[in-house]
Amino acid sequence: MTETKQENWRVGVDIGGTFTDVVLWCEGAAHLFQVKLLTTPDDPSRAVLDGVSQALEQARITAKQLGTFVHGTTLVANALIERKGVTTGLITTEGFRDVLEIGREWRYDLFNLNIEMPTPLVPRQRRLEIEERIDASGAVDTALNLDQLPKLAQELHSKGVQSLAISLLHSYLNPAHEQAVGAEIKKLMPDVAVSLSSDVSPEMGEYERTSTTVANAYVHPIFRDYVDRLAAALQQLGYTNELLLVLSDGRSIAADVAVKYPIRLVQSGPAAGAEAARLFGNLAGQNDILCFDMGGTTAKACLIHDGEPERTVNFEVARETRFAEGSGLPLLIPAIDMIEIGAGGGSIARVDQRGLLQVGPDSSSADPGPACYGRGGDQPTVTDCDLLLGYLDENSFLGGKMKLDREATIQAIKTRLAEPLGISPEEAAWGVHETVTANMAQAATIHAIERGLDATRFAMLPIGGAGPVHACSMAKKIGITRMVCPAGAGVASAIGMLAAAISFELGRAAPCELALLDFDHAASLLNGMADEASALIISAGAEKNEVTQYFSVMMRYLGQGYEIEVPVTLEMIENKDRERVLEHFSEAYRDRYGRSEDMPAELLSWRLAVTGPRSTLGDTLGQQKHETKPTPVPRNHRPVWFDNGYVETPVYKRKDFAVGSHIDGPAIIEETESTLVLPIGFKLDVDTAHNLILETTA
Amino acid sequence: MSEVQVSAIRLGLIWRRLDGIVDQVAETFLRAAFSVVVRDNYDMAFSIFDAERRQLTQSKRSIPSFLGTLPRTLEAVLEKFPRSKLSPGDVIITNNAWIGTGHLNDISMVHPIFRGSDLVAFAASTAHTVDIGGAPSPSAKDCFEEGLCIPICKIVVAGEDNPTVMDFINENLRQPAETMGDIRAQFAAYRDCNTKLMSLMDEEGLDSLTPVADEIIARSEQSMRDAISALPDGTYSDGFDIDGVDVPLRIECAVTIEGDHLIVDFEGTSGQVPWPINSVLNYTQAYARYAIKCLVDPDAPNNAGSLAPVSVTAPQSSLLNATPPAPVWGRHLSGHYVPPAIFGALAPIMGDRIVAESGSPLWNVYFSGQYDDDRGNFVKMFFMNGGHGARGHGDGPGCLSFPSNVSNQPIEAFEHQVPMLVREKSFIPDSGGAGKYRGGNAQKLVFEARSKNPMTMTIRHERITYPPRGLLGGKPGDAGVDMINDECIAAKSRTTLVAGDKIVFQTPGGGGLFDPAERDTTLIKNDLESGLTTPAATKENYNYD
Repeated sequence: MTETKQENWRVGVDIGGTFTDVVLWCEGAAHLFQVKLLTTPDDPSRAVLDGVSQALEQARITAKQLGTFVHGTTLVANALIERKGVTTGLITTEGFRDVLEIGREWRYDLFNLNIEMPTPLVPRQRRLEIEERIDASGAVDTALNLDQLPKLAQELHSKGVQSLAISLLHSYLNPAHEQAVGAEIKKLMPDVAVSLSSDVSPEMGEYERTSTTVANAYVHPIFRDYVDRLAAALQQLGYTNELLLVLSDGRSIAADVAVKYPIRLVQSGPAAGAEAARLFGNLAGQNDILCFDMGGTTAKACLIHDGEPERTVNFEVARETRFAEGSGLPLLIPAIDMIEIGAGGGSIARVDQRGLLQVGPDSSSADPGPACYGRGGDQPTVTDCDLLLGYLDENSFLGGKMKLDREATIQAIKTRLAEPLGISPEEAAWGVHETVTANMAQAATIHAIERGLDATRFAMLPIGGAGPVHACSMAKKIGITRMVCPAGAGVASAIGMLAAAISFELGRAAPCELALLDFDHAASLLNGMADEASALIISAGAEKNEVTQYFSVMMRYLGQGYEIEVPVTLEMIENKDRERVLEHFSEAYRDRYGRSEDMPAELLSWRLAVTGPRSTLGDTLGQQKHETKPTPVPRNHRPVWFDNGYVETPVYKRKDFAVGSHIDGPAIIEETESTLVLPIGFKLDVDTAHNLILETTA
Repeated sequence: MSEVQVSAIRLGLIWRRLDGIVDQVAETFLRAAFSVVVRDNYDMAFSIFDAERRQLTQSKRSIPSFLGTLPRTLEAVLEKFPRSKLSPGDVIITNNAWIGTGHLNDISMVHPIFRGSDLVAFAASTAHTVDIGGAPSPSAKDCFEEGLCIPICKIVVAGEDNPTVMDFINENLRQPAETMGDIRAQFAAYRDCNTKLMSLMDEEGLDSLTPVADEIIARSEQSMRDAISALPDGTYSDGFDIDGVDVPLRIECAVTIEGDHLIVDFEGTSGQVPWPINSVLNYTQAYARYAIKCLVDPDAPNNAGSLAPVSVTAPQSSLLNATPPAPVWGRHLSGHYVPPAIFGALAPIMGDRIVAESGSPLWNVYFSGQYDDDRGNFVKMFFMNGGHGARGHGDGPGCLSFPSNVSNQPIEAFEHQVPMLVREKSFIPDSGGAGKYRGGNAQKLVFEARSKNPMTMTIRHERITYPPRGLLGGKPGDAGVDMINDECIAAKSRTTLVAGDKIVFQTPGGGGLFDPAERDTTLIKNDLESGLTTPAATKENYNYD
């Protein structure tokens, strides 16, 4: 490779709880270099480096030739869901330490008298108060009493606090007190990570802001250490450009910004998976996609409706009652609307006190991993059951790179499930498989109908290492009849990182009535934002003339509580065109609400999205030459369990399929990073974009 | 899979999509709303009815009583405007207390939905308005003092706003922008409901919702009947005193189970009083049916079918069935006692499905006056919930709304609207009643008045004299407290505040359930560690130190 092609190499790296995926791509080429390897939980950067090195080796290039490194991780989400963050404390305004636990006082289920409210990440004994008060105009009512801080620090220290959230009333208007407390704490407790609510989520509403800030603090040190290690290692490897991280809305951001706000990465990898699903759906001519992403630790669903992933502003993690909106911890972050629908391949199955089979939510993660990984795990997991049922093969897992331990699997299932239930290990494994897919089917169905949509009308697109294994069984339970299975499904999130343009969003709060807007000031604000954003995106590898800017302003009628995004241009603001701004607002309002009002409007904040050149990955994959192949010959056969017994089933390699290939289930189709299970009652064809298209035959 | 099963699954899907649609439509309303009471307190409800005016579903963010009062409101609307007088795009409004939610501050609207020329459904909603004009006060002697009564009339006629009705309401309000803004926000929600319902019917190939409704309503009714049948026949009763205004009043409740039917009767309850705490029958019935649904059959869908097997009666001109022109502004001060009366009556036969009394009737406070700057008049409310009663399998959550479902509002949002500073919002230690499972903690709110102009504060609080009861051996929660500048004030009163006044409210704590001696020591220790209970009270209640 010559030096001039340097900027065309891009790598996407996704870390899941169990596996780390690496995809390397040279712009213009149809080939993706893919590596899947076990996540290294003690230091996740190790697997990243190892995987990247392997991919570079495959492509025969060096890290110096890499133009862009995009990275996503479920580290943040898993720490929250499994409550494995650090010991966190909170300092808040005197009189308000219980806000985090009192929440919003409403019942998320009207008829169930036994609902559980979410347990705060910071228990009451670690929520401390400081004398200070800022009022609703942003003025200081009660001076900050920093003299109290040494004692508070002492108390936090004695309670083992490693990370601290500081959330004071009205700090979204005036952050001075939070900043002063933060600065002083850094002196008193230099080892403690500090998250200020005015930085993490400068929005009105003390409960939601505090919840977001506390969640940020809870994962902050873990994430910071991880990114530091990774950046250092990449530098050693020879990568010199910016390290980019994927946010929960699919955009990316430079690592030094991301480490301050890890909570914005809570859905980092999965958001990239949704981008991949959009790309592949588009190639298959499907605009309505149910993206089903099942990895080692969790399974997620995301609806892509009319070609766009659904977005949300009411984001929640770690719901108390599965699937019940309002039962989780609220996070004020922009995000693709995606829900956790269940367990992952590594989720542990057990028999509960009532004698019923339960799966998850706890996971064996990568270490020790499922029993079949042979690393000392003795708890049966979904993956173990998949192995016993013949869906996975001990010799071809990860392309044969990782031999699975069948004996350990049988032992775990036998002692922990089959014997307590009084059934055979195979029946127990089938029970786990059915439980997992039924739970996920129900959750995905509810997710769609909560949005007024009918899941059965969507095509399912399974991604993630365990997605294609469970897709048909789950689709059948939802009532979905069509599935799109792209190549590289097992590393789709990493592919999604290459499919999306590099993009940043900046926001500046500037509340003001439209009638009183100072256009000169606004124009200089927007120009300043444009300079900052351009600098960011150029540092991330884009050329200045390739950058597109999209300005908008969040507006509402005076007195409303929620705003809508109104597109504006720099020109409109520089020309002081108040009428046009109002027109654009009225139009956007009519779009959302079907009417506009004759009332004064106000502006809340300016936004700027800058986007680098669009990725050509979709074009390239769409233009692959259509080599037609006849129906492939199975590489071998193995017994695979469907419904109530083993069926001798043909096993194919994914790469043997091409346009024109057709088979009927049952079949197993293996590729290195994932295995597709095609049960009886499904047929498979190949479309011109090399997607496997599955349809029910019944 | 047989044909029958497929259609049952299909029915279930359509039904749940309707649930999804109504939640989304409610979200449209909340996001476009102009009042804090709607968008932050969620003091509203949205419901869809079929063409036969049977309630089909409701938004999750709903006040339970509004869901129960809307069927009667729709019925009254259709008595005045039968089908022949309805056109696509109409919206009909009313806030009549007796056909609505029991007081003038809830405005209800009904929107007929047509598919072509066929009436296929009704969207109906109720939303609280803090100001409805007039001079509602804790000493109001009749309902005419309590504000503007909007008779059943068309506020939108075939898609065109009716300026006469709009102006009439507008001119009677102190802060019309907020109320009128909320009304218009509901118009947006109706439009959204129309669109979404049409695409559902298109996709499912439905010309009418009736066949689907028949099936689901029948199933829901059967589910409720089965659940009632599983309970032992008999009459179970409960009675207790409540604070009232000048003298304590009595709530008496008898629940009779006869096979698959259940009758709730409030014979023996005090007569209506010349204070604005009387409930109308529609509101009483709504909460009685809601309580039965929660207790007996919580998991089945809630719709016209679930209501059918439950009848509710209360003596004419009683506290729970007041007749005009009784004052009714604070009708929840009696109406919110309906669920605890029913729970109390059924406690002996419900075992661990029972819930001890919560720190309700709902507490709120009105602040009104004139802003010091040029923003004009304001009338704002602040809501605060007490502790939830202990449940059969765990402690009552702290500060959780029941039987209403009113959320709090952010302190930060409140302070933008009312010239006050909130100095404290915190759990009150030991306020939940002791028990094997303890009641939820109540909260303490401290306000400081900051307005140069004098401000009026109006409160209507209960459970000052009679705290929430524990059940089956559980202890009562703490009673509530109202204070200005460290002196107790009457729980139903109006006060003029001046800058610097300090106001303290302590809501009531939830009642405990079962004998405290049975409490698990881990739970006792956790409470001590968090400070939700103090060592002294722990020693006294649980003999633990």
